[in-house]
Amino acid sequence: MQNRLLRKLAVPAVAVAVSALSLGATAATAAASAPTYTIAYEGPLSGGNAQLGLNMKFAVQLAINQANAGRTFGKLPFQLKFLPSDDQGSATQSPTAAQQVIGDSSVMAVVGPAFSGATKAAEPLYAQAHLATVSPSATAPELAQHGWRNFFRVVADDNAQGPADATFAVKTLKAKTIFSIDDGSAYASGLATAFDNAAKKMGAKVTHQTALGTTQCQAGTGNVQQYSAVATTVKDSKAPVTFYAGYYCDFALLAKSLRAAGYKGTLMSDDGSLDPHYVSEAGAKVANGTFISCACADLSKSAAAAPFAKQFEAIAHFPVGTYSAEAYDATNTIISVMKQLGPKGINRASIVNALHHVTYKGLTKVVHFQANGNIAGTAVYIYHVVKGKIVELGLAP
Amino acid sequence: MTTPLTPAPTPGAPLQGTDSLLLEPSGPGRAPWQRLLANEDFRRAVGCLAGFLVLAVMTGPSGSQGAPTSGFTGSLFNLRVFWFVGLAAVLWGAMTLRRRYSAAVKVWNDKALALPRRLLPDTRVRYGAYFVLLVFAVVYPMHISGFWQEVAVQQIGVYVLLAIGLNVVVGYAGLLDLGYVAFYAIGAYSAAFWTGAMPVHLPFHLNPFWTIPLAILAAMLAGVILGVPTLRLRGDYLAIVTLGFGEIISIVAQNLTSITGGPGGVLGIPHFSVHLLGVHYVWGLGNLPYYYLLLGFVVLILIFFHSLENSRVGRAWTAIREDEVAAQASGINVLKYKVMAFSIGASTAGFAGVMTASQVSYIEPADFTYQLSILILVLVIFGGMGSLPGAVVGAAVLQWFPQFLRLHPLFGFQQQDLYIYLGALLVVMMIFRPEGILPSKRRKREIGLAEHGVGSADAMTTSTAEVQ
Amino acid sequence: MCFTQNFSQYLVIGLANGFLYALIALGYTLVYGVLQLINFAHSEVFMSGGFAGYFVLQAVVGKQPHGVMSVVMIVLGIAAGALGGGLVAFLLERVAYRPLRRRKAPKLAFLISAIGASYFLYNLAGKEFGRTSLSVPYIFNGSNSGIAFTIFGAQVQTIYVIWAVAAIVLLVSLDRVVAKTKLGKGIRAVAEDAETASLMGVNIDRVISQAFVLGGLLGGAAGFLFGLNFGVVYTMGFTPALKAFTAAVLGGIGNLRGAMLGGLVLGVAESLPLSCVNPAWQDVIAFGILIVVLLFRPMGLLGERLGRSA
Repeated sequence: MQNRLLRKLAVPAVAVAVSALSLGATAATAAASAPTYTIAYEGPLSGGNAQLGLNMKFAVQLAINQANAGRTFGKLPFQLKFLPSDDQGSATQSPTAAQQVIGDSSVMAVVGPAFSGATKAAEPLYAQAHLATVSPSATAPELAQHGWRNFFRVVADDNAQGPADATFAVKTLKAKTIFSIDDGSAYASGLATAFDNAAKKMGAKVTHQTALGTTQCQAGTGNVQQYSAVATTVKDSKAPVTFYAGYYCDFALLAKSLRAAGYKGTLMSDDGSLDPHYVSEAGAKVANGTFISCACADLSKSAAAAPFAKQFEAIAHFPVGTYSAEAYDATNTIISVMKQLGPKGINRASIVNALHHVTYKGLTKVVHFQANGNIAGTAVYIYHVVKGKIVELGLAP
Repeated sequence: MTTPLTPAPTPGAPLQGTDSLLLEPSGPGRAPWQRLLANEDFRRAVGCLAGFLVLAVMTGPSGSQGAPTSGFTGSLFNLRVFWFVGLAAVLWGAMTLRRRYSAAVKVWNDKALALPRRLLPDTRVRYGAYFVLLVFAVVYPMHISGFWQEVAVQQIGVYVLLAIGLNVVVGYAGLLDLGYVAFYAIGAYSAAFWTGAMPVHLPFHLNPFWTIPLAILAAMLAGVILGVPTLRLRGDYLAIVTLGFGEIISIVAQNLTSITGGPGGVLGIPHFSVHLLGVHYVWGLGNLPYYYLLLGFVVLILIFFHSLENSRVGRAWTAIREDEVAAQASGINVLKYKVMAFSIGASTAGFAGVMTASQVSYIEPADFTYQLSILILVLVIFGGMGSLPGAVVGAAVLQWFPQFLRLHPLFGFQQQDLYIYLGALLVVMMIFRPEGILPSKRRKREIGLAEHGVGSADAMTTSTAEVQ
Repeated sequence: MCFTQNFSQYLVIGLANGFLYALIALGYTLVYGVLQLINFAHSEVFMSGGFAGYFVLQAVVGKQPHGVMSVVMIVLGIAAGALGGGLVAFLLERVAYRPLRRRKAPKLAFLISAIGASYFLYNLAGKEFGRTSLSVPYIFNGSNSGIAFTIFGAQVQTIYVIWAVAAIVLLVSLDRVVAKTKLGKGIRAVAEDAETASLMGVNIDRVISQAFVLGGLLGGAAGFLFGLNFGVVYTMGFTPALKAFTAAVLGGIGNLRGAMLGGLVLGVAESLPLSCVNPAWQDVIAFGILIVVLLFRPMGLLGERLGRSA
């Protein structure tokens, strides 16, 4: 009797400890003889940018769980483990996070780093260790220009997306003047610069402002109350199109302020805003008519997307968010390469080599890398918010 | 000089018979529940229980937007809560026993601490201990993993530098600086500028070693420029001005894209290298060379600060910290010494900036935030304000702890909850040891004096009325 | 040219933001008045109010409320926010301040325990309530930020009217409470001279607790008012609280009317230049103004202590 009570008490406590320690190794006991490899993830897991990092972390974990259960790649001749490493999205924390990953000899490839700055700080270390990094979200163009052979990303860089957005704004929307706003992050300012330059080249008049991102969204330093004043400035400029480079939560605040100020022009944003939360936070009335661009195909058209979203929510306890699908694709790309190499061929360097030749059909796109690690075929798709739903319009011109 | 925080009348025994404004009903006429509330044992039990229930929630499952109470119910209405209630009961028992046998505990404590108490004041013993620590610091890192070496340089080494620098400002001179990170940024960006990594650069490039004095000079200059007009302000006014300065510096670094590289930061700052008399050595990606370089500088700076503390300057700082008006009255040039402390602290941060910039070889404005200033302040006070060993130990312990948790996620620790644990640690630490881990002797005495209502424990918040 | 264009619009926006700053700033000033300490966890008091208001409205708002019901909802939300903020402020004083006062800790120890409490609280909120922004239900026709009326060419949003009315009511009530009631007398007495007050039989512990709760009520209400327009999220306290702290110092910390004035001045000062300057420089302007003001008026605009303010 006493024993049973004790066991009742002990089980939950042990379960909590074990479940956290053995992340994602649900099927680890099944095949003890098969070799075990680790796929790591580097991104922000604590601090103000944690949410963005968690969006990706759970997607990586989901991909690994599914592969271990034999659901995505059939029965694999190896077991996979997961090692999340927290860099808080910061450049000075990033080398430490990288060293943790590199120091674990079972780690064969890394999903991440999530942020461009963190990537710049950590990539020399990964390059030295011949450890492949596949970033789901680092978009700074210069990352591909350093000759890091182990660097890959499944997102289009700013130089691919910015001009495509500009072409859409100038040619399709026929905007002669454009108000462009970025959130002051490395990602957004790079994208906005690429956008501005391309739009100016096509003859449009571009006014550019930086409204620093706020803590309502990522770990910004900006002042939430600035958006009303920014909206007044935008309205006075009478620009028919406003382009925002940044994330959905700040974009929602800006959009609300713009409409409240009586701005009637068209709103446009980037893949950081391709998130259903944009509509729910701005309200359908405000969000309707917004154009959003992304170098990714419409998730809802893929048959695998709905189960992905459901299973993601089951382990993460929050819905799929920005860059979740990209992280899922990056992980599966790595696993497909490992499957192809087989347990005899898997080592860090061979994965780097194999990734240079991989073709994998993921949720968001067909993953195939250029020699410099950029994703090949950076088709940019335009999305439109109609009746509170984000729908794909097709390829950008 | 009055202190605003005077000892309150003992609770439960307020002055009787006065025509009081807000006097509690007291004495034998109190209701039973009031007596229960006043019972020390009961209060401690409630405290223990509350503390452990909070711990249960901290370590329990997370909630979510759709089910905001699920985290609470999952951790409290679950059998695991009995563990925490049990632990609370154990702690309560231990505290009660300790109190009951406090005399015995004290005797035991005195016995156990007799030897260290006798030996510690002995300078030979102390220097011997420092030497042993130094040998440890030299030898130990050779035998640890690359991860811990990185931690030793970038997470501990640099922060030790920052902490001992801020210790001069906050601990010695008693000036609350909430924008300390600005000088760190100035140092880092100076290194980037003089080595030619920034978009704006000179026709020649310097070796990072030569940027050290230049960065220190730049940070010091910034310290003087900010200090001369603002150090006349007192306490919290100074705090907010420095805070504003820190924000301004990071925003400027972020906005002046054509000069500083903007939000994208500066990539490609060279590593340290020596090319002298046929000796060529480059501090590469490995961490050990950086570690030893940093260790050498830290030891030198520690010796310098230690001698400074016991010099005429250090005594002037102490006087200002303890009572600025009295210090001024006794002929100390208050502003001069304040500016001196401010710029010495600033230049240390500038140096730390060079180390970071050169080691990571990349800097971005997003790393120089107000939160970082706060973190460095926390390190100093956690370690023991005004105490060099304290600043070193505080930085080492607080910076080591998250890295330890990262490798050993005990009891279901999740990385996204890191700051919950750090926050709780700070509160608990300050409740039980507000003077920090290793307080300086002088500070201890000041706190003791403040307890008896003589002077205030620091010059932070001398009431403004006294200046007029 | 640019400065005069739409001057009234930027002024209205600045004033609206200023009312919010003033509400939060009072929390800093009240605590400073009695303890001479900056309450670094006030941002989390603000956040708690936001969440409390959000949860209550989420529970009661069914269909789109109209007319009187909208007003009832606002009052309900403010009350919930104030209670949430007051409760957290009360607990904060009990856990992070009172034990330290008992031990006669140095002032900076209070600062650290407050920072610790702040880390703890906002990350716990993130853990329990999710880390993405939650939108407070709309309580007017389709939005919370429609245009109420136009004055001198400036459009005044409904939310501005709510902020202004709520803030004025709360600020005036606080001013009266501190000036007239026994509670206020206690706070003023402790602010003026804690030692003498305690000799007169004022229960200092209780007065300090009351000051925290009063500040928490206002901060929590401000949290709800803020969330009504911007949504609530676990990190929502950072910037508004930082700005409010700045406003409190600008007006003269420890001075109630100073905090109100400081809030309005700061709100306007950081809004007006945006007609000419890139908003990225907003904080540089705000802090620049603060530094300049402090150089000329080292005790803030109204530079006085709480004890003598009313």
